[in-house]
Amino acid sequence: MKRWLLIAGRLALAALFLYSGIAKLREPWLQFAISIEGFKIVPDYLLEPMARTLPWLEVIAGAGLFVNVLAGWAALATALMLVVFNTAGIWAYSKGLQVDCGCFGSGAADPIGPKWFVEHGGMLLLALLVTIGCFQRGAKTAPEPGRAGAPAIA
Amino acid sequence: MRILSFVLPAVVLSLVLQAQTSAPVKKVADTKAPPAAVKNFKESGSPVAKVGIELYTDYECPACREFYLNVLPILNREYIATGKVHLLHRDFPLPQHKFTKIATRYANAAGQIGKYDLVAKQLFDTQPEWSQNGNIDVQIGKVLPPGDLVKVRELVTSDAHLDDTVNADVQMGSYTDHLQQTPTIVIVANGKREVIGGAPPYSILKQYIDSKLK
Repeated sequence: MKRWLLIAGRLALAALFLYSGIAKLREPWLQFAISIEGFKIVPDYLLEPMARTLPWLEVIAGAGLFVNVLAGWAALATALMLVVFNTAGIWAYSKGLQVDCGCFGSGAADPIGPKWFVEHGGMLLLALLVTIGCFQRGAKTAPEPGRAGAPAIA
Repeated sequence: MRILSFVLPAVVLSLVLQAQTSAPVKKVADTKAPPAAVKNFKESGSPVAKVGIELYTDYECPACREFYLNVLPILNREYIATGKVHLLHRDFPLPQHKFTKIATRYANAAGQIGKYDLVAKQLFDTQPEWSQNGNIDVQIGKVLPPGDLVKVRELVTSDAHLDDTVNADVQMGSYTDHLQQTPTIVIVANGKREVIGGAPPYSILKQYIDSKLK
């Protein structure tokens, strides 16, 4: 993957996750808990812990991508989160649930439907490409064994 | 680039902390806005309770019905009757609902004769029926004695000021609390208004209220 393409993808993914995390953190956690509850998947006792931690995970992953620190792992984390979000979306849609996903804070989301799946599918694709790109680039730039700075293998 | 490793987390953290300290809510209410005038019959619980809940509902909204019939009775028993929470009902009739305005007039007319809770509950109980045919009077007649029903009918048809509190609530909801849906709960605690759209299940609402009562 071309370097500039990877940088652009990484920054776009970073912006998405930073924005969505901060948007949720600016609201009372109860608001996001209501959104999660709408999917009818998560038991009530997990709603508060999820509503409190998920936005922070998004911010941490977004920050990692932005500053290019552990970017491969951060991208992998975003991809995993998006797999969960998409699965939850498919579940809700198949059950005919009217859910405000709360993805970018309350009131900003489209209802779950074809447009939502295109957007979130696209984000997942981006996250997967960035994950692969980051790990490939990391493997290429890793110092060879025996060279200065590389751990010696007995 | 590495300097960003230190700067960005600090910026993000400060943004979040600022959001949580100075603007911890979705929409911080304009404190200069005058509070909507409300009648006493729409309030319950201790006026000096540490936490206030303002509940915006529309009588024809199914999610409001769900909240009113399933969550509010427990909230009443556990927090309002015990003086921990002060509750204020606010009307927010949605324009797409055909019969909600007249239903609201019935509820507020009943409030004038001391039967607000009874009639509001009956309106939500029988919402699936009257929202189809608009025959609210028949449903109210099932819970009010004939004399009271006559008084309510008179108020509904002739009281020019019956919608005053509704208009004030709609103003408050639109321009101060920036409602996007019903039901919406406004939690008033520590001098802040937290606007929360949607109907939370009781279990998480309880956790949230408890955190405010600490």
